[in-house]
Amino acid sequence: MPENQQPRIGVYICHCGGNISGAVQCESVAKALKGLPNVTITRTDESMCSDAGQSLIEKDIQELGINRVVVGACAPMLHEQTFRGAVTRAGLNPFLYHHVGLREQDSWVHGHDKTAATDKALRLMSAGVAKARLLQPLDPIRLGAEKHALVIGGGVAGLRAALDIARQGLRVTLIEKSPFLGGRMAQLETVFPTEEEARALLHDLIQKVTAHPNVTIFMGAEVMGVSGYVGNFTIQVKQHSRGVSDDNAEALMSACTQEVPDPFNYGLTKRKVIYRPYEGCYSSTPAVDWDHYDGRPFDVNGWPIELKDEPKSFELNVGAVVVATGFDPYTPPQGEYGFGELPQVVTLPQLIRHLALSKDGKSLQWNGRAVRDVALIHCVGSRQVDGVHQPQEDGQVNNYCSRVCCTASLHMTADLHKRYPELNIYDLHQDIRTYGRGHEEYYRHALEDGVRFLRYNGEEVPEVSPAPQGDSHPVLVKVKDMLTYGEEIEIPVDLVVLAVGFMPRDLHGLDKMLKISRGNDRFLLEVHPKLRPVETAVKGVILAGSAQGPMNIQESLSAASAAAAKVASLLGRGKVELPPFVAAVDVEKCNGTGACVEACVYEGAIALQTFNENGEEVKRAVITPANCVGCGACVAVCPNNAVNVQGWTLAQYEAMVEAIGMDLPAMTEVTA
Amino acid sequence: MSQSQQPKILILGTLSGGYAGADSTGQSHLDYPPNTYILPVMSPVMFPPEFYLRAFEHGMDGIIVMYSGTDSPYKVEADGTAKLINRAYQLMKERGMDIRRLRLAAICTVCVKPFLKEVNQMNDLLEGIGFVKDEIAAHASAIVTQEAAHG
Repeated sequence: MPENQQPRIGVYICHCGGNISGAVQCESVAKALKGLPNVTITRTDESMCSDAGQSLIEKDIQELGINRVVVGACAPMLHEQTFRGAVTRAGLNPFLYHHVGLREQDSWVHGHDKTAATDKALRLMSAGVAKARLLQPLDPIRLGAEKHALVIGGGVAGLRAALDIARQGLRVTLIEKSPFLGGRMAQLETVFPTEEEARALLHDLIQKVTAHPNVTIFMGAEVMGVSGYVGNFTIQVKQHSRGVSDDNAEALMSACTQEVPDPFNYGLTKRKVIYRPYEGCYSSTPAVDWDHYDGRPFDVNGWPIELKDEPKSFELNVGAVVVATGFDPYTPPQGEYGFGELPQVVTLPQLIRHLALSKDGKSLQWNGRAVRDVALIHCVGSRQVDGVHQPQEDGQVNNYCSRVCCTASLHMTADLHKRYPELNIYDLHQDIRTYGRGHEEYYRHALEDGVRFLRYNGEEVPEVSPAPQGDSHPVLVKVKDMLTYGEEIEIPVDLVVLAVGFMPRDLHGLDKMLKISRGNDRFLLEVHPKLRPVETAVKGVILAGSAQGPMNIQESLSAASAAAAKVASLLGRGKVELPPFVAAVDVEKCNGTGACVEACVYEGAIALQTFNENGEEVKRAVITPANCVGCGACVAVCPNNAVNVQGWTLAQYEAMVEAIGMDLPAMTEVTA
Repeated sequence: MSQSQQPKILILGTLSGGYAGADSTGQSHLDYPPNTYILPVMSPVMFPPEFYLRAFEHGMDGIIVMYSGTDSPYKVEADGTAKLINRAYQLMKERGMDIRRLRLAAICTVCVKPFLKEVNQMNDLLEGIGFVKDEIAAHASAIVTQEAAHG
């Protein structure tokens, strides 16, 4: 195997069609590098990523016995895989390759000083050579994988993800915490921008999911524990009893007298503790609200019937987990814009439910009186400003934009105008962010419909107070309108609607069980929005929908399909191949201090095991590669440097730093 | 002044943060001092405090660790790296080194302006305080003088 012999390093510098050679004297760098130890050949080429350029590398590996390759070219993100492919085709281990970014990090930023750019290129390439000397062949981590995925959350994102995964031929188990499917979408009437019936779309999706033979659904179920790793997660699930069956449901519902505020209608109405959230829901079998049921028996035809939650626990073995746990609408604290103090102040979700429940009215009624003037306030619970808004539990304000509420508000104004053309609508906003295709139409229609727009500054939010006695309206809204250069405007209204934003959900420890992170905004965090969208740092745990941030239904569906595609590509072959960049222990150096185990937060990634060495029991750290994310927290704490991240070892970094700091090999100007 | 006569700035940039931020800066063709050498890292939580000292000994005059801060995909990165850097500061102080030579900065993949700000600030600082080798030598010399004074 050439890769186990003394390093014979091939160094290649790309001109990148003048993008690099326009600032870096590539030939001079190549010539200087030739003098470095272990460097067998250096070459430059107009375009290393071209077929001809790649062939140069392949030919050198085969004919000159090159067993380490360094290419200086554009950003590694663009062509690292290309060159790993070339190296592999020539029969070399792909991880005996190192990529140096000379374009984005040198020629494109130092073009004004060609000497300095060339000097820098030489140092960066020298560092690359220093690392290459220490490269070792690595094998990707190959694991058997259950062709079975778990989707957590039965809202629109979870349903879509489940269906897409099932259609790829994989088994899916969907668990939903509530006893019914549909999530937040079931609370909507129509959806923008298509104006379709939300429930019609949702029920079509539910029908497809429930009819698919690859899908198993558990409602009223929650995750209680997670162990294992990508391809082989073991999930402990607890499912609550439904409490009633189709046989006794109607009798029990009739007998039930205990009522609680209905969360489906955001507390506007009450419902029984044996309930269906709405007619036509799935499942159609009612369920007991165990959180509120007072335990008193029901009198059914003179027979006392007592209901008990008898949850069942079971385990699932799955290869991947999709987290589609959704969001909660922001609930303003008591007094914010008069919420909770003035009965005429409601949230937008509440108004949506109110309109759904009062379809036939000729005028908009609220709190027993006809509404003539309504003010809609944007950015409630979003784009909050320190010192102006009440912080959340973690002491931070919600400074993110919830994105969806602008179009949702204008969608509401269109609906109100259509139903009640006489209504005067005032729209108080910071900005109008109707960013999606077809969303701007709502703004234009609102202008045509006579909606009055007033723009406030985020640091001087509108004031909502009871109107003075004798006023024909119950509420007075005061706003400093930036569209009229800060004029103080008073608007007497009958109703104030707060366009509340998205809040990250309390997942009751699910995020901790899965070891996934939250961002500053407290939503779940993907590794990178562009490089690795919907993936978390935990392999095999994928995000879908608004659990990772404010999204409209369209975006949630796209994210769900993306998550499903990731799951399918991960589990489709029944085995998982992962990059080898995980921790590895040098048992010769390890003396079992256990510091690495203490430093690691990823369960099962590293553990101390007892071995027998020459008749003596010793403890040594052992890595489970599938559980390791390669962060290297164990590396920093090991007193003997017995543990390293493969492909990114401390010794390699020290060699690179030393090379950067060294006196440069002499460079002579070479004409290409 | 040629490059080899200028203070050197080492940047340890995470793949999901600073390194990609440097690429974004390059894509914008925005100039910054060329005496900067960026190495990609998975997570800086892997570097023990002694690593930074050795890097200074190898001639790095300033080091900026560009990571994702609290937005890191790795659960231990933010707190863990800060703790390690704090320990590195202690070691630097013991050796008479100016701790401003080592900085921890949260840089995202599109943080072009913050990237430039960090690099320029470090460059300005190094122009003022000079090479680390001089600082180390001055400290060593001071110790020798002190020991001689104490007999």
